[in-house]
Amino acid sequence: MIHQESFLEFLHDMIPETSDRTSIEPGTVGPCHVGSDALIGIKRQQTNPTRWIGDSWQAFADVLRENGIELRESIAARGTFATDAGGTAYGMPHGVVIARSAAQVSALLKAAQQYRVPVTVRGGGLITEGESVAFGGVLLDMTGMSRVLHIDTDALTVRTEGGIFWHSLAEELRRANMDYLSAPLNMTSSVGGTLGVGGIDVNSPRLGCSADQALALQVVTPTGDIVECSDTLNAELFQRVILGYGQFGVITEATLKIRPYTPLRMHYFYYDSLRSAIEDLQMLDKNDASDYSGILTIMDCAVNLLVAFDSDEREAAFKANWQARLRGHGEFGFALCIAGRYALRPWKLGEAWFLFRRKRELFPELQRAEYMRDGKMVDRTVVFSRAVWKFWGGKQMVIPDLATSSEKFVEAVERGNKVCRKYFPHYTLYLVGIKLRPEHKAHYEMSCIPPDAEDWAYGCEFEPMIGGHVYSRDHLQSFKNAIYDIGVDLGGSYYRFGGMMKGYIRRVFGDEVVDRHLAMKRRADPAMILNRDVIF
Amino acid sequence: MWGFVKNAFIPRRDHTDCSGCSLCLPVCPVWRQTRDISLTPHGRAKAMQQGEAVSVVAVESCTLCGACDPVCPEQIDLSGMTLKLRRQTEHPHAPALQARMDEKAAHPLTSQHAAAKWLPDQALSEHPELLARITDLLGARVTEDDGADIALALEAGVIIPAHRMQRFLAPLKGVKRIIVADGLLLKHLKKLLPAMYFVSLGEALSNHADVSHNLRATDLYVIEPRAYHSDYQRLVKHYDRLRAKHGCAFNLDLQRIAIPITSRNLPQRMGLMAHDDDAQARWALHGRSISRIVVESSEDGMALEKISDVPVVHLAELADHGVHVQA
Repeated sequence: MIHQESFLEFLHDMIPETSDRTSIEPGTVGPCHVGSDALIGIKRQQTNPTRWIGDSWQAFADVLRENGIELRESIAARGTFATDAGGTAYGMPHGVVIARSAAQVSALLKAAQQYRVPVTVRGGGLITEGESVAFGGVLLDMTGMSRVLHIDTDALTVRTEGGIFWHSLAEELRRANMDYLSAPLNMTSSVGGTLGVGGIDVNSPRLGCSADQALALQVVTPTGDIVECSDTLNAELFQRVILGYGQFGVITEATLKIRPYTPLRMHYFYYDSLRSAIEDLQMLDKNDASDYSGILTIMDCAVNLLVAFDSDEREAAFKANWQARLRGHGEFGFALCIAGRYALRPWKLGEAWFLFRRKRELFPELQRAEYMRDGKMVDRTVVFSRAVWKFWGGKQMVIPDLATSSEKFVEAVERGNKVCRKYFPHYTLYLVGIKLRPEHKAHYEMSCIPPDAEDWAYGCEFEPMIGGHVYSRDHLQSFKNAIYDIGVDLGGSYYRFGGMMKGYIRRVFGDEVVDRHLAMKRRADPAMILNRDVIF
Repeated sequence: MWGFVKNAFIPRRDHTDCSGCSLCLPVCPVWRQTRDISLTPHGRAKAMQQGEAVSVVAVESCTLCGACDPVCPEQIDLSGMTLKLRRQTEHPHAPALQARMDEKAAHPLTSQHAAAKWLPDQALSEHPELLARITDLLGARVTEDDGADIALALEAGVIIPAHRMQRFLAPLKGVKRIIVADGLLLKHLKKLLPAMYFVSLGEALSNHADVSHNLRATDLYVIEPRAYHSDYQRLVKHYDRLRAKHGCAFNLDLQRIAIPITSRNLPQRMGLMAHDDDAQARWALHGRSISRIVVESSEDGMALEKISDVPVVHLAELADHGVHVQA
């Protein structure tokens, strides 16, 4: 019988020094130390980062405790954060710290620099590629900092702590009859995490991504300085932290734009062609014809374009000027189309049954009476988020995505759709535009915003419905790679390019850009401790 | 028959199915107060997924408000999971609770037949005037055995002796309608006697025309969360109809989950630790423009009276035109 410790020592000794346990240069993707030569002629790269071995952990832990920082080292505490929403990357931190204040985060990062201990920051943990999974070191749980500090209904701003869930922020804002501008349609995304990666809502075609709503931030830098930054104050830090994948600081507070709350009236148009639906979506966005727009598919022949409005006036203008130009059908008209389609293809009745079942289950969920008032949806994030988790959630989720300029978007989606078809029987595509802010061009470099996008960028998530099926990790990774290869081909970008997908970063952004950012990272974070291995 | 067949094919969900979506966190009063995931259903499920024993503090911290149950997309019985953990935990006060139940079981009951009966909770029993008013409104007889010891044992995860349970349930058999004030007891009675008709005190009173007629658009109606969350799919529609008809606000969050006012963990329920309901009560009232608070639970009423400057009335008191302020 092998004892666990001696087995770990055995594993440690088995890893050749060349493929290296500790000396892989941060900023490079190392070879796979499990089987770097397993595929003849193809160099295998590691996907999960190497686990930090834990040198100097005890001295570091002692310093934290001397500073009054509670460090949890039990398996139960660490295991809570063993994976993220994707459920394919697993790792354990050596200890967990719940963030309580900027001063505490600062003390933690200073000690981490001194002892070279990696710190992985986690908000809602909803990312899927292992970016918020700690492979050793400290896991910093930012949800401990979830207070709303001040709502200014005159200036239309809110100051909040960075770990707060968008939903918790909405709960407080609604008591003041206010709302945030745009946030992911997932209630438990955190504000800080979202500002670091983007954040897309169905109103992003009009209002931009969540990251563009930030007016100012309080950031704890990797070396532990507490710095306020904005477009005018410490602008360079602001540029790097926004959409910076957590590489240049921990967002402890944020000032965000808000607006008066309005319920929204939804309209659904159904298409049997992705191309037509996308063209119509882009036409609406370009003409500012709606307040909200996006596409959600049940199948690639059952495509739902959703359009929504904050006011009766905007809705009336849409009906008068734009509705007739849409090529989509209403529900009844589309049902007739689908009936005709399957009457001519009786061998595809299984597909028709799937469509019918999906519609019967999903649609009532989007129109539950308790979330509607006078035909208007009162809580879009609650409605969509509950539906997302109910119908697409599970212990394993892969959601590769593509972001491109308007011009390349149809091709990207059609090619991605073919990949989905090859890998999974059922999947959903979620497509939405992002209005860009020219003055934020510097924020967008090496982010989810494609370098060639002007005015709008478009994103598509390709989400297989895994359900109770079991797929190997290789199958899921191959699927993601096939989607991401399209991004390289088209010169686009991705929303989820860190963690297990970081091998694509240099391919899609090029060495010059990545090396420049890596140099900045090294200057800001000399020991490379903050969210290491996530993108560099 | 159909119900049995249908349920037989619904897979039972447990902690292994937790995907870590965190949807249970924003509705959890313990998380709101501590921001400590280990004290939430999410934390307990994840600890068990690691094969670890959940700490006693984490097991006892739950207030059993049940808010997590309806929001779990995996449909895990999260409060049931916590109760199961409590049953596996040795409770220092179990012998005292057992003795209390034994004592009650030994006490003979007089035979009382009634078409409808109701079980007040501990807090209501301390307000005889209100108790009488509710009895009158409901047209139901107060049960001789209120099951308060059983409710506490359920909460603590202490095994209820069969003879005590038998003594409690026997007078309820054959009764057409049973109204229960304690939400946790109601949930378990529904499971124990599935063929019988149980209803929460809040639902029973709010369906009474003399009561609901006096609800105002400027009222904050405070729903008792345990009963509400245990029958969420049906009751969310019931209260939405009340809102549509009378325009009153509810202690509901954006997910239509009831914000508990008195959220007490096990040591607080057992009287071993002081409780402080102020933070929760303040959150329920925060930013609301109201002229009166209407409560289903008198315990909630007492907590709200401490911090509110508008009148607090029990739902039953609305039948007296809602002007009587609770003592």
